[in-house]
Amino acid sequence: MTNVLLFDHIDEPGLNTIDVFERRGGYEMARRALGLQPEELIDTLKASGLRGRGGAGFPLGMKASFIPKGTMQKYVVCNADESEPGTFKDRELMQKNPHQLIEGLIIAAYAVQATKAFIYIRGEYVLQADILDDALIEARRAGYIGERIFGSDFSLDLHVHRGAGAYICGEETGLLDSLEGRRGNPRLKPPFPANQGLYQGPTLINNVETLATTPVILRMGGEEYAKLGVANSAGTKLISISGNVQRPGNYEIELGMSSRDIIFGLAGGPDEGRSVKFWFPGGSSSPVLTADDLDLGYDFDSLAKAGSMLGSGAIIVVDDSNAVVDVALKLAQFYRHESCGKCTPCREGTNWTVHMLERIRSGEATPMDLDIMASVQENIIGHCLCVLGDAMAMPIASMIVKFRAEFEEHIEAARQRNPLLGAVPISDEPVLIAGAAH
Amino acid sequence: MAEFASQPIDPATVRRFEHGSRVPGWDEAVDLTKDPAIVPDLATTPVPDELRSAIEAEMAKYPDTRSASIPALFHVQARYGWCTPEGIEQAAAVMSLTPGYLVSVASFYDMLDLQPVGKNRVYVCTNISCSLRGADDLYDALLTAAGDDPDMFVRGFECLGACDIAPMASINGAYVGPIALDEVPTLMAQIRAGEEPLPAKQLSRRACVDPKAHAS
Amino acid sequence: MPRPEERFVTFTLDGREVSAPENAMLVDGAEFGDVEIPVFCYQPKLGAPVGACRMCLVEIEGIPKLQTACSTPVKDGMVVHTQTTRVKEAQQSVVEFLLINHPLDCPVCDKGGECPLQDITFGWGGGKSRFAEPKRHFQKPLALSPLIAIDRERCILCYRCVRFSQEISEDYQLVLHDRGAHTFVGTFDGHPYVAPFSGNIIELCPVGALTSQAYRFRARPWDVEGGGSICTLCPAQCNVTFTVRDERVLRVLGRDHAEVDDGWLCDKGRFAYQSVHVDERITQPMLRDGGELRPVTWERALTDAAAALTRAGGAVGAIVGGETTNEEGFLLAHLLREALDSKDLDCRPAGGPAEALRVALAQPAAQATVPDLEFAHAVLVLDCEPVDDMPVLDLRLRKGVRRNGVKLAVASSRPSSLDPNATATVRFAPGAGEAFLAALNAALGGGGHLDELAPRAGADADEIRALAKLLRGNGGDRDVVILWGERLTSGARGDHAARGLLNVARHLGLMDGREGAGLLEIPAGTNGRGLREAGVLPTEDGRDTAAIGAAAAAGELAALYLMHVDPLEDLPDRDTWVRGLDKASTVIAHAAFLTEGIREHATIVFPAESYAEKEGTMVHPDGRLQRLRRAIGRPGDTRPEWQVLSDLSRRLGADPGILTGAMISTQLFAAVPYYAGVTLEEIGGRGVRWPQRPAAAAYPQADLGPFGLETPPLAAHANGSLRLGTFRSIWASTEVSVSPALRFLTPSQRAELSPGDAERLGLRQGDRVVVGTNGHSVSATVALRESMPAGSVFLETSLGVDGANALDGPLVEVRPA
Ligand SMILES: Cc1cc2nc3c(=O)[nH]c(=O)nc-3n(C[C@H](O)[C@H](O)[C@H](O)COP(=O)(O)O)c2cc1C
Ligand code: SF4
Ligand code: FES
Repeated sequence: MTNVLLFDHIDEPGLNTIDVFERRGGYEMARRALGLQPEELIDTLKASGLRGRGGAGFPLGMKASFIPKGTMQKYVVCNADESEPGTFKDRELMQKNPHQLIEGLIIAAYAVQATKAFIYIRGEYVLQADILDDALIEARRAGYIGERIFGSDFSLDLHVHRGAGAYICGEETGLLDSLEGRRGNPRLKPPFPANQGLYQGPTLINNVETLATTPVILRMGGEEYAKLGVANSAGTKLISISGNVQRPGNYEIELGMSSRDIIFGLAGGPDEGRSVKFWFPGGSSSPVLTADDLDLGYDFDSLAKAGSMLGSGAIIVVDDSNAVVDVALKLAQFYRHESCGKCTPCREGTNWTVHMLERIRSGEATPMDLDIMASVQENIIGHCLCVLGDAMAMPIASMIVKFRAEFEEHIEAARQRNPLLGAVPISDEPVLIAGAAH
Repeated sequence: MAEFASQPIDPATVRRFEHGSRVPGWDEAVDLTKDPAIVPDLATTPVPDELRSAIEAEMAKYPDTRSASIPALFHVQARYGWCTPEGIEQAAAVMSLTPGYLVSVASFYDMLDLQPVGKNRVYVCTNISCSLRGADDLYDALLTAAGDDPDMFVRGFECLGACDIAPMASINGAYVGPIALDEVPTLMAQIRAGEEPLPAKQLSRRACVDPKAHAS
Repeated sequence: MPRPEERFVTFTLDGREVSAPENAMLVDGAEFGDVEIPVFCYQPKLGAPVGACRMCLVEIEGIPKLQTACSTPVKDGMVVHTQTTRVKEAQQSVVEFLLINHPLDCPVCDKGGECPLQDITFGWGGGKSRFAEPKRHFQKPLALSPLIAIDRERCILCYRCVRFSQEISEDYQLVLHDRGAHTFVGTFDGHPYVAPFSGNIIELCPVGALTSQAYRFRARPWDVEGGGSICTLCPAQCNVTFTVRDERVLRVLGRDHAEVDDGWLCDKGRFAYQSVHVDERITQPMLRDGGELRPVTWERALTDAAAALTRAGGAVGAIVGGETTNEEGFLLAHLLREALDSKDLDCRPAGGPAEALRVALAQPAAQATVPDLEFAHAVLVLDCEPVDDMPVLDLRLRKGVRRNGVKLAVASSRPSSLDPNATATVRFAPGAGEAFLAALNAALGGGGHLDELAPRAGADADEIRALAKLLRGNGGDRDVVILWGERLTSGARGDHAARGLLNVARHLGLMDGREGAGLLEIPAGTNGRGLREAGVLPTEDGRDTAAIGAAAAAGELAALYLMHVDPLEDLPDRDTWVRGLDKASTVIAHAAFLTEGIREHATIVFPAESYAEKEGTMVHPDGRLQRLRRAIGRPGDTRPEWQVLSDLSRRLGADPGILTGAMISTQLFAAVPYYAGVTLEEIGGRGVRWPQRPAAAAYPQADLGPFGLETPPLAAHANGSLRLGTFRSIWASTEVSVSPALRFLTPSQRAELSPGDAERLGLRQGDRVVVGTNGHSVSATVALRESMPAGSVFLETSLGVDGANALDGPLVEVRPA
């Protein structure tokens, strides 16, 4: 039972109402938290070892402790933008157990003494946003949100803010700009949101799952929670599995479980007769792994050691019926579409990569283009303002490395099909710019 | 070596140059007979009462009223079907912003339409997970089924966060999937009739797949 | 607000020790070590760096990722590399990315030769292209406004232009559309980008995407020369460079001066240079002959002028316009006083307070500087509209509020474009500045009762109370700047208003010589301050402007001398002036254009030099002596005006004994005690603030109060009719209406009304109306404004026959035309 923490009774009818939630012990932890000192709370969160569930995996307790003390207006923002391809875990939590998130937000807000909070939910999640709005009405009526909540001295104003369709608003500073009513362009860091975030005030931003876990931690105690999982990857994690598996969906696992057990044991693996060709372990932004990597433990360190990452905990399985070029193109098209356009390498690099992949598919490319494509990815990685550019470049680069032979074969096959073959000159020499300056 | 599912592309259809964006404008000069678009004065910009109070209620939620831009644009879109220039001007007048500010915000986001579209919004996820399960065919089928019905706005969309019901679509905000190709005619008929689309496949009714969630 | 202090630290740059100001951005810090780091999006004038273009990546030891030098502050002991392979590869890749979409149409691009993208590609690019895909193509160029063309192919999305529109001028008209690679710069729904400062984006654009419609294809950088001078079209006196080709001014660029213009220009300053070369310009002396002005020789014109002035026998009045230099004013004063024995001389369009009060208000110790507006705790904008009256200050005020948290207060009759930025606003009835000051004086603890005085100003006592609180702050130790318009202390009750202002200033500690606080007056004319200092004022019982007009109308003046002023355009009380100009048998004018008053009434016209042709000095409203330097030759028979004045004086027996322009400057500096020792060299290209020089101690002493204040008159009670308020638009000037590029901005008369008043009068937006008082009227179009206080109507002045100068208030009737 210990490893079903967030999904415990998730489908119980009416869990999204405050009555059922409270009957199951809901809001007890928020009440208890308000009786503690904020520092004690932060210590508990630190002790739990909980790392952010949104993608970057930054320890929650540490982030909360970065929020300066003092009387300035502070904010907590819940990142419910959930737009990383393959990720849909927060959706299930918010839809079925919205009060758990609200409770988590109360605890986090009290811990950092923030009196204003927002849930930034992607606009496409209409159902979930409506459910959250209803839950907030109940929580306000119960005195859990608003002035002097739970009869304490602490007040908390909380609103649901709906996005309008932009992946980049999941990036925390893009989210803040969007929440401030602007285009969702990421900001230069530093300053980090913990110092200057929403409306320039100190801001704690965390993922839905991260915040919804705080009541669990309080109930279990930080040390107890830390015992779950493996080193550097404490606790349970919601995993979204999709793509070529038989039982796609959300599963709660204890971190460190073998990837094979997740993909085959829980999700049933690819269809009969198909095999795993490659898989994204942590959303579409994570470098791909192959069938050889299936025995990796599913935790932060093991995946990082294998050259990829746990990211948002979204596994996308691609079976052997698919061409790597097609997946690469989909991927690049997505990032091109979602690049905010603010910084050069991402805006132009994603666009160029799409063009090159299109040429590969249409038989207008040569193996030299693969080298250029690989070098373009290198030129993106580490050079962007936020990591959206890297999020395309790293998986694409990993595909080129791991499937170079297939790319080359594809280039050749497409060239064979190309009726204009021969009309397209192949040159090993790069074309010189005709006098860029003069 | 894997067989290639990839369709051959006719090189003749490969675009020779990049063009176009989701809002018109790249090729457009301004109209020099127009006045500059400054903050519209409420004295000369009539705003329907309901729209004005809806926007003002949103503004009240935030320490900085500008935060209400997206909600305000959603209200404009709900009222006029899309973010019309007049609607944007009205919102701008209420919020004391320039309409340029709001159009800039609107054009950044996929769900805000700056051109007239059909009243039924059908977003078909065509991202990786869905396309691995046939989303591209589904999208084509839906496009074909919609035909030139002016009430139908079918568009491909990036990952909608429902890869567990791939291939899927968001139909006027409701998530439906997995949609089989042979369900497309029924689905279209339901949308046209204003009925709940494929009730059995609504995400709202779907149980969690994790067996542990039900075990204890 | 304390100004940032500079502390130098040492860091290692490419293996060498470099000393640079701590917290300067690395890009700027590197310059102290003679290392250039390429940038596109970085432009300190635009505020905090955005780090978007990624051109400036450098390696900093201890940080694994490359960092943007534009946003990384220099720290003591930092070790920075700008020449490593990693950095070079990053730079080359950014150039490569930027060139993907850039058309490389340099041979036909206006920017060619002065293009940062060319330079950086040459300096930091890889020199090869690997981009096999076709380039994007769009229609180009397209109009973005009548002044600016946009070429979207060339845009590299550095965001400078939209940041300017949004964070500097805050007009929020120029925005980004769409996102990612589709992002483009544009406006709302095809509206043109027309705003007072729009032209700055041309200068900001690091490629040829934004070009000046007026300059396009007129010259190449190697065809032109730059001539540094100042713009004399308003009191801001922005520092400019004239781009000159073949003795023609083709362009005006900013010549960044942090203490004057902060590197910006308004569109009038940027484009009205066209007025220098239009056919309408007067380039020959003219004489009225048979009712018509006809060209004559200089000899004839000067002889006639000397004869006519002699005939007038002292009954000569002279009015001097704001674009007159100190030297010209000084010489004219000499002519009048020494040669003609007249004391009727004024440079203020509506007179001003008594000499002692004028001297008190201009006390060097009480003068605020332009940068003070940006660092003060609070700024009160009083009875002026910066964007119209001294445009570039508008940007400075916005900057102070946005970046330094300056608390802005606006007290005016007409709603101000700065209201949205203001922490406190007070509206008072048009012309009730004196009563407002009395009320504010009371609120600050001076005499009188606020609740009795506020209604006299037609203002709200609580608003004034809030304003007083804001200005005083919590502690006493606050730097307050009062930015006030000349109109406040002009007119019949100017003395009383001046006393009120002095009392308020004293309460706020502005008279004590505190650095960073003080008074800053926006004079009505460009060189209003300098002309007063040069003595272009009535002496003893001499007549001021209004009195000169009245005397002329009464037939008491035989001759009028109009130096760069057309009374019918520029001065109040048009009716009196029509009569005065009619009655005077001689009207001598220095003018560049035949505006109505000159065309109909002048008997002798001397061609005026344009500001690009003039040499001399002017005084900025904050006391900075600035130099005008000649950039081009004079057209036609135009002569230096100092020479004309000197010639006339000589003919009239009072030879000032000067042979060059510089000689008069020297005489002037010697004549004004507090200019003592100033030289043209000292003024140089950056100017010198005389109140900061030791000679300022020679400034005359004056009674600084506190004064007992008379009860001010009650603001006119609207009672069915409306109070008349007037303002002068930035675009109401001859230079604008004759410049082909700017002509479209020439305002037409509009009656600004509150929606309530309009409804009561049965008027709607766009209706044609006649606004009038006892016999005089002007026609106008109704413009409704939600923020307009009820009971007032506002009209523009300086629009010729339809200018509000024709009306005398305080009350007017508005009825459908
Ligand atoms: C391009 C991009 C998209 C992101 N999208 C999301 C998202 O949809 N949801 C999320 O929780 N975090 C997302 N993140 C991560 C956030 O920036 C941030 O790290 C996270 O919200 C922190 O919360 P956590 O510590 O609880 O994980 C994204 C990051 C990037 C760079
Ligand atoms: S990396 Fe992409 S998404 Fe991030 S700031 Fe740059 S352009 Fe925007
Ligand atoms: S100059 Fe530093 S990122 Fe543009």
